[in-house]
Amino acid sequence: MLREINLQIEPGTLVLVIGASGAGKSTLLRCLNGLVPHFYGGSISGLVRVAGENPIERQPRGMSRYVGLVFQDPETQFVVDTVEAELVFAMENHGVSQDTMRQRVEQVMAQLEISHLRNRRISTLSGGEKQRVALASVLTLEPQVLVLDEPTSQLDPQAADEVLQALQRLNRDLGLTIILSEHRLERVVGYADQVLYLPGDGTVHMGSPREMLAQIDQAPPLVALGRALGWTPLPLSIEEARAHLNGQGPERCITTASAPALGEVEIDVRDLWHAYDGHLALGGVDLSVRQGETVAIMGANGSGKTTLLKHLVGLLQPDRGTVQVGGLDTHRTSLEELIRVVGYVPQNPNALLFADTVQEELSFTRRNHGLDANTLPLGLLDALGIGPYVESYPRDLSVGERQRVALGAILAAEPRIILLDEPTRGVDRVQKEALMRYLAAERANGRTVVVSTHDVELVAETMDRMVILEQGRVLVDGPTRQVMAAHPAYASQISQLYGDGRCLTLGDVLGEAT
Amino acid sequence: MIRHPLSWLIWAGCAAVLALTVRNPLYLTLIVLTTWLVYLGVADASLMAGSWRSLLKLGLFIWLITIPFNALMIHQGRIVLFALPAHWPLVGGPITLEAVLAGFVTGYALWTLLFIFATFNLAVDAAQLLRLAPPFLYHAGVVTSIALTFIPQMLASAREIREAQRIRGHRFRGWRDSLPLVMPLLTTSFERAVQLAESMDARGFGGELSGLSSRRQAKLRVLMVLSLFLFLAGMIVRIFWLDWSILGDLLILDAMLFMGYAFYDLGQHVRRSRYRRERWVLGDSAIALSSLAALVGVLLLRQSDPAHLLYSPYTAAGLLPAFSTPLGLLLMLLSVPGWVTLAEGVSQTDPAQGVGR
Repeated sequence: MLREINLQIEPGTLVLVIGASGAGKSTLLRCLNGLVPHFYGGSISGLVRVAGENPIERQPRGMSRYVGLVFQDPETQFVVDTVEAELVFAMENHGVSQDTMRQRVEQVMAQLEISHLRNRRISTLSGGEKQRVALASVLTLEPQVLVLDEPTSQLDPQAADEVLQALQRLNRDLGLTIILSEHRLERVVGYADQVLYLPGDGTVHMGSPREMLAQIDQAPPLVALGRALGWTPLPLSIEEARAHLNGQGPERCITTASAPALGEVEIDVRDLWHAYDGHLALGGVDLSVRQGETVAIMGANGSGKTTLLKHLVGLLQPDRGTVQVGGLDTHRTSLEELIRVVGYVPQNPNALLFADTVQEELSFTRRNHGLDANTLPLGLLDALGIGPYVESYPRDLSVGERQRVALGAILAAEPRIILLDEPTRGVDRVQKEALMRYLAAERANGRTVVVSTHDVELVAETMDRMVILEQGRVLVDGPTRQVMAAHPAYASQISQLYGDGRCLTLGDVLGEAT
Repeated sequence: MIRHPLSWLIWAGCAAVLALTVRNPLYLTLIVLTTWLVYLGVADASLMAGSWRSLLKLGLFIWLITIPFNALMIHQGRIVLFALPAHWPLVGGPITLEAVLAGFVTGYALWTLLFIFATFNLAVDAAQLLRLAPPFLYHAGVVTSIALTFIPQMLASAREIREAQRIRGHRFRGWRDSLPLVMPLLTTSFERAVQLAESMDARGFGGELSGLSSRRQAKLRVLMVLSLFLFLAGMIVRIFWLDWSILGDLLILDAMLFMGYAFYDLGQHVRRSRYRRERWVLGDSAIALSSLAALVGVLLLRQSDPAHLLYSPYTAAGLLPAFSTPLGLLLMLLSVPGWVTLAEGVSQTDPAQGVGR
């Protein structure tokens, strides 16, 4: 995974670790507190010193005083179920005195602005709150180094900003050394002092963000634009990029993508209401999608996106209102009939995958639908880029690959309408581009696609229309270019830069520049 | 006022033992009613209501399958409802009303047990239970409390997986169709357990040993391995050599003593502190004493007249269950936590509020 690494990180630095899935980011991060090799096994040679301690000798337990590790999914790292108890768990295990514990709990809660959550059950917190509690639970031991493994990958943009701002405060006010890995560079690169790049061959390269982003393929759109247009220094934020525009406004943008030919109404949702245990999830949603349209459903965590998708596939029934998909009323149609028309890929691909090979996963769906299990829709494997893995065990694949196998497992039934729930969660840029290519091809083929996502870049590249949900209601519904221009919080980096609906993607700008 | 978790533990333990001892549907109904009152006292823990309901649904499912299972397997009784061909293995023979009723009561007892645990789960959280464990059993306490919190998570995962497979057209027709449901559930649970273990390790779970020489540590480890071997040997003896079961018991007892000693000694050398210390108040004494009184009283009455507690439709006593007022009154003592909590106007929902400050 890693070889001949020589690396020195100064105290108080915020280091961003980047690289494709499987490049060794998590391995490197886990070397810093001894989880590699003590928890994961493997062989290690050389010298590692973190905060003056040797993680290999001290083991994870001993290193926990010096290194706080926060994981990708906050859900999986909580041991107890209330906020305050979670915060003291590590301190109790280190025998910290009761007075000191109280003092530190207050201090850390104030730093992360979570004092109001003290008595809450963790299960009732939002994604951003959970991740801040996870941060707090390691900070109570007062570590010198904070290590975070893709801390914002599960969060909506607003929650991700909350977490990143909290990290910035810790770094700036307390001088805490922070090392974090992340795929969505556009979110975090502006916060980093240094970038550590793992190309995937076992080596690492470190330098300033500009220096490193000038060299790598995974640069966020703004940096890629700067590189293409020869801007020096490379912009890391919208403000920096604006300085390079020199009055060149959006007139330089050309929209090359042609509007798709739309057919009949495929999805018709009228006044849809749904509540879980008395909690309102959808409150009067209206939505109409035509055949061949690609629609993004956006909104904060808990705004009702997944509930809406589940209604479209018939997994949920309306409390009030009607849902018609492909001309079928979901209330009057069996799920078996609906899934011949509509395919739904859930957020968690692991819930789908059980077979020994990718091929068997796809055959299983076809068999269930009464289709020939030995043949697959023409070009499906190539379109999804999973051809090389047909004989692989699905759970051995990376998150992005598993996501596409799950997509394949649904598409094997050849549905007319595709629903995707958060398809780019935890997926690296290369995998995301593969998915975007697939969605663009499906759009060209006239397939109706509805995607629930937080990923504005994915939406800008592949979706014709955006629907923003807020607390179970449709806040905005309109063409992507129009919505992004009017709502910067849901706009791509390029759209934010130009502030015009004609410029959403790198392609829109470089169409003229190149 | 927050209840001490030990008082809840005593209540749940006594109620569970009684639910297992009693096979009379009238007494079971009394236990259910008293538990319902306790539930009302802690019901504002509505945040956990989802898992509470899920557990009860699981219990209902178990209850419902117990009835046909019993009816198909036990062919005793005088009132024959219908008969299956005698040559059918196991299930062949008369299906009797008595067997249906016996299955109903067994299922009812199991559901009652789950109802008690679901209510206990609402009243006390894992962290509180954890704090009850003496230092040398700290690890075991953590593992047990995590196992308890895993149940609702597993149920949620099972629901997610069932939905995911349904949209692929999967239909459950027999045990062969369970693979697409069981495999993802097992793998997901295992992955979650590994991630949790990693998180706990990274946060110093278990603490560091101090003042214990490496030689002594090695000795204690050998002792733990030895006790596991003794335990295994004891179990084998008990299972395969019934005549030597006393030897098996002795081996198991030795194993437990050795393991207990090793845990105790290790626990003495780990520095660990507690953030909160729960206070035992009058209400806790009332709960503990009333629950113990119910248990002891019922067990004593059982000694004098065991038939009262049991219900067997197969016997000549008839299909209707018996009822004794003193026994019923004793069982009603299990409702004391509900009365105490309701009287105090608060419920035990938030363990983090002002305990032992």
